Amino acid sequence: MNARKIVLLVFLASAFVVRGFAQNSVDTLREVVITGTGTEHLLKNAPVQTEVISRRVLDSFGAKSMEEILGSLTASFAFNEGDMGSQMQLNGLGNSYILILIDGKRIHGDVGGENDLSLIDPHNIDHIEIVKGAQSALYGSDAIAGVINIITKKHHDEGLYLENVTRYGSYNDLRQHNGIGVTSGKWSSMTNFQLQHSDGWQNTAEEYTEAMVVNDSRNKTVNKFTNWQIAERLTYQPVRNVDLYADGMYYTKGIYRPQNGRYPSCDVYTYDLMYRNASASVGGKWKVNTSGVVTFDVDWNKHAYYYMYTATTLTDGYDPNGNFTNYFPYFAGQKNLQSDQQRLMANLKGVFQLPYKNQLSAGLEYRYDYLNAPMRTATGTADDWTCALYAQDEFDWVKWFNLTTGLRIIENGGFGFHVTPKVSTMFSLGDFRLRLGWSQGFKSPDTKQLHYRYLHTMGSSTFFNMGNTSLDAQTSNYWSAGLEYRGERLTISATGYLNVLDNMITLVNVPVSEIPKDVTTSYLGDGSGEVVARQYRNMEDTKTYGVDVNVGYKINREFSLGGNYNYLDTEAHVYNSDHNRLDKVTIDGMAHHKWNAYVVWSHRFVPVYKLGLNLSTRGSSERFYQNNGNGKPFQIWRINTTHDFGREEKNTSYRVEMGMDNILGYVDRTIHPHHLGTTNAGRTVYATFSIKFRQGKRFINLISTKKQTDYDED
Amino acid sequence: MMKIKSILIATMAIVASAMTFTSCSDDDDVENNYTAYQSAVDTQVQAQKKNSKAILLVAFGSTWQQAYDAFDTTLAEYKATFNGYDVYFSFSSAICINRAAAAENTAARNFYAPNFWLHALGNAKYNEIIVQSMQVIPGEEYSRVINYIKDFANNSLGDLDDRYLSKVTLKLGTPLLNNVEDVANTARVINSLYQAQAAKGVVAFMGHGNPDSYDTYKANIRYTQLEEALQTYSPNYFVGTVDMPGNYKQDVLERMKEAGINSGTVNTYPLMSIAGDHAHNDMAGEGEEYWDASEEDSEDNSWYEFFTHKGYSVKSNLKGLLEVSQIRQLWINHTKNPVELEDYYHSMYPEE
Repeated sequence: MNARKIVLLVFLASAFVVRGFAQNSVDTLREVVITGTGTEHLLKNAPVQTEVISRRVLDSFGAKSMEEILGSLTASFAFNEGDMGSQMQLNGLGNSYILILIDGKRIHGDVGGENDLSLIDPHNIDHIEIVKGAQSALYGSDAIAGVINIITKKHHDEGLYLENVTRYGSYNDLRQHNGIGVTSGKWSSMTNFQLQHSDGWQNTAEEYTEAMVVNDSRNKTVNKFTNWQIAERLTYQPVRNVDLYADGMYYTKGIYRPQNGRYPSCDVYTYDLMYRNASASVGGKWKVNTSGVVTFDVDWNKHAYYYMYTATTLTDGYDPNGNFTNYFPYFAGQKNLQSDQQRLMANLKGVFQLPYKNQLSAGLEYRYDYLNAPMRTATGTADDWTCALYAQDEFDWVKWFNLTTGLRIIENGGFGFHVTPKVSTMFSLGDFRLRLGWSQGFKSPDTKQLHYRYLHTMGSSTFFNMGNTSLDAQTSNYWSAGLEYRGERLTISATGYLNVLDNMITLVNVPVSEIPKDVTTSYLGDGSGEVVARQYRNMEDTKTYGVDVNVGYKINREFSLGGNYNYLDTEAHVYNSDHNRLDKVTIDGMAHHKWNAYVVWSHRFVPVYKLGLNLSTRGSSERFYQNNGNGKPFQIWRINTTHDFGREEKNTSYRVEMGMDNILGYVDRTIHPHHLGTTNAGRTVYATFSIKFRQGKRFINLISTKKQTDYDED
Repeated sequence: MMKIKSILIATMAIVASAMTFTSCSDDDDVENNYTAYQSAVDTQVQAQKKNSKAILLVAFGSTWQQAYDAFDTTLAEYKATFNGYDVYFSFSSAICINRAAAAENTAARNFYAPNFWLHALGNAKYNEIIVQSMQVIPGEEYSRVINYIKDFANNSLGDLDDRYLSKVTLKLGTPLLNNVEDVANTARVINSLYQAQAAKGVVAFMGHGNPDSYDTYKANIRYTQLEEALQTYSPNYFVGTVDMPGNYKQDVLERMKEAGINSGTVNTYPLMSIAGDHAHNDMAGEGEEYWDASEEDSEDNSWYEFFTHKGYSVKSNLKGLLEVSQIRQLWINHTKNPVELEDYYHSMYPEE
């Protein structure tokens, strides 16, 4: 990645400027959600329980990342930001069972099952909708633990919209966001740029290695990273009832590991990690008449993952004669493609009002996956496809009863035919809602699980990992019952859930003789065998169950408070490769209790100044792991202050945010590589400066955020 | 309105040009890497070449400091012993090679892979090359050593001088326990070192071994033979392994019980060229992490915890075989009496 290009882009983007924070203090009673059914409903009347992180909450909280938003503003998520990703969990289940959507479109690309949450610009989020449990009838594969739908900010007003947000904090943490929106007649363009950088941090230099404890390990708790993204969306309205769009995005991320290690056994690395994503899509929406809407989308995505060598590295490759070797050299500065995942999706969907208070949603979806992994597949590439037909009916039988049923019929190139149903009911009584639901989820084997074929060296062990084209989809059944009260001031809900997953895919030891004949010679030398053969199989199962409680109370227009609590328990049968059997265990990273709470206050002292305060806390009980110790319980406090300058109705407005995370400076200094309860860096401070401008003259932005570091090392 | 339109066009132009900037090629030119790397090894060999004969020591490799020290000592001793030979050290594990070379705050070490060293030795036209396997048994790792020699002798990359290859003398130094005679010699040396301990308690060795699925050349039998040979000196000697089926720690215990040894001291030693992960963790690991009472035979349970929980007093000794000069001498003897390689295409040690 070229730093000069980034600086140039930031400069270009911020040379324009920005305007008033639309104080979208949408009353929660008027909040509209879409994720649970794919159709718009008032939050209060949504047939499927939906949790919303509103624009107002996001504005007052001042988060730097998706990890911080989900980890701090709900009690259901847990993170373990580490070397390779965020290690997100929702009610005990990992990222590969969580479907993340941006404006209804699934995010693309993973490394080891972890999505890259930096693809989401925290300053471009309008609100977030979270629907827990299986949603595969509506959304297809992966929607097993739940669906997170990121709704981005939209700007439809005629004229020009410019926005600059610069956030800077401890550990050289920079978050930059620029938006340029132009609407002229039937055309509209929105350009977004974002950059995220952190130098990373080290909570402990103690590491257990070479059968001793060293106290000068260079391994960081969270590695240094930089990512940036530019996105463009064009919309065109040829006639009043038709909207068309085309959009595209380019993204790149580097994760930089320590380069000054001294222990080859633990902190010496010869490569960094790099991702490159791109996407392009076109689509449209046609309002057929007052009773129907048809949408279509065609969406292409690419996620490429590279090793960026920082020192001479021998790795698998082909010698000059084209023979396989374990010793193909790469030199510092060169990169090596590990995998390039590409996806093409086409979706046609209609929503129609039918007689007798029925609303029908029906759609067709086609998905094609392509994997290019030169050293990890038999032929270097692999692919897979899925066709799906889905329908959902929302039936308001009587005023107090809604029945929503849905079904998805899938045909997949690998596992064939599959059907996923869902049923949910909602009983209304005044401001009370009782929701009962049962739904099934599934997760298609990914192209790696189907087609990977590569030699994997871990420590002194060597494995030959094989995909399996006879894999079945992983499946789940989800039951939930929730009671909710949503009044003028008080909102309270309690939901119990049980999620049962089966056919979960894992690598299982198989006889060496199962290694395909054509690769036997290259991997097994004289045919004598040298490796442990493993193949993906549908082996494991898991049960997660618990209760979510959410409370919100609005004392007056300026003052509100609330909190969330999550109880979770898990039972899993996990494959034990040492003994070739299933062991009954709790899921790694599971905590029985998680909670968060907040107090928000704001006041406009004078017409040109408004102060906002947000004091929040979050915590978790002990997190359980099978190996390397449990994560310690923790509780972290955070304060954010917002300072809005300028009159609400003016074109230009300014905001300064200042805050401190982890006020009490709690740091989990558990020795590496044992598990941490939280990877939080300790007390950190930040300041954000934003300018927004709407339809006005040009303006020069001054990125005037001051660095403040007050990190307290105890 | 015109102004807005021109801003719109300008915006799109910026985005388009930004995307052009960033869409640089996915492919680096790595075509010449192999030859570039080889020439770096060639250069090192040319700089080091003082004699017309060379010895190449081949170990699996390690990332541990204690192992580096053992390799350093071995290399120094070889250099002192073999006048008239240039001595080189090689790892066969790519990861160990990479990390040893890259460590910033410790001495960087170049343990090139055997194929590169051999090729460089060939380019430097050494008249005689002895490849010494630093393995304990003639098993899986050793078979790879033989393959490197085959590839070299057959000019597998096609860029070595064939006339030179037809004349070069290639010799193979065999592993520590290559044959039954080696087993007897090693037993004799071990007994001379540890007979005092064996007189008072058990002396148990932990070898690596090959799993069932790839017991190359049936080499696992050497562990059994070594135990038999040692027991001719004292019934207190035992030899077990990490990976050889039927010869894990619980099997060692069973044999001890059969011999009527139900208590007392157990002195444990790694039967591996270096003391790394296996020796420190699988053998000598202490504490609850190394003991799961619900599954005593688990391979995660260390020998230390296992025998301690079985009522013995355990004393772990953490020296790899290369750290014991008398045993190093056995390897040196193999290098002094190498096998002349003439026909490279036969598996050399199909055991009965």
